[in-house]
Amino acid sequence: MAKNIKDITVGESFSASEEVDKYRAIYYAGASGDFNPIHIDPEIGKMVGLGGVILHGLCTFGFMTKTVTDWAGDPGTLKRIKCRFARPVHLGDTITTSGTVSKVQGNRVSIDLKVMSQEGVEVLAMATAEVEL
Amino acid sequence: MAVDRKFIGKVYGPITYEIGKEKLKEYAKAIKNPDPHYMDDGFTKKSKYGGVIAPPTFAVVYAGMLAEPLFYDKELDLNLFMLVHGEQEFEFFDVVKPGDVITSKGTIVNIENKEKLDVITLVGESTNQKGTLVCKAIFTFVIRK
Repeated sequence: MAKNIKDITVGESFSASEEVDKYRAIYYAGASGDFNPIHIDPEIGKMVGLGGVILHGLCTFGFMTKTVTDWAGDPGTLKRIKCRFARPVHLGDTITTSGTVSKVQGNRVSIDLKVMSQEGVEVLAMATAEVEL
Repeated sequence: MAVDRKFIGKVYGPITYEIGKEKLKEYAKAIKNPDPHYMDDGFTKKSKYGGVIAPPTFAVVYAGMLAEPLFYDKELDLNLFMLVHGEQEFEFFDVVKPGDVITSKGTIVNIENKEKLDVITLVGESTNQKGTLVCKAIFTFVIRK
């Protein structure tokens, strides 16, 4: 069930973490159709200076989106979401997305997002979302 | 070689994609998102959608297909080894369900030539079989020089 707009307050926050398990980039490649070798072949990843396989940016984007839609209670309420891909995510990383309500206007809720690795590196930057409750 | 700004306005597609129920489950599992809205018939029959819906970011599949003709466009001749995904934005207007046939069209809306990189912005608009706009996707690709 979607949250009730009446219960939302500016400044309220939420967060969730996802572990990037060893095979996550392979699952994501299969499901998305993005078989770019930098995501599945550690040798290529090393060759292009990434230090091994990196996770698809859009998979991290998926984790970020899940944090928002789980909080909202209904994924159909998501109206807008965006980010800049700031730093690569590696297998074994743990990604934490934190959201803070920045504005409520009518039924529309604006959310500022921070997406960090376990080392405190901001992997997705300038991330925001809007839901309509 | 800088990417020529004369390609601003170039259009890719339309590309059509039929949404499959099992594919949605596979995608949801890959992004570690077992939300019942995407995979539980019993739950979704009682929801306001009356059946499963696509994860919003499934747009990376039906709209993301527009990136391929851009990447392999011989006129633009992009250096794919130097290309990275810079930014992504999705705007959603309606839910997508299994059986929907989504048609996407992409337009290069901007090309920026900077000292060390070029930036290409591609806007994809996806409509369903009823002609309803379901998603606007803004892809920003960076090509290092």
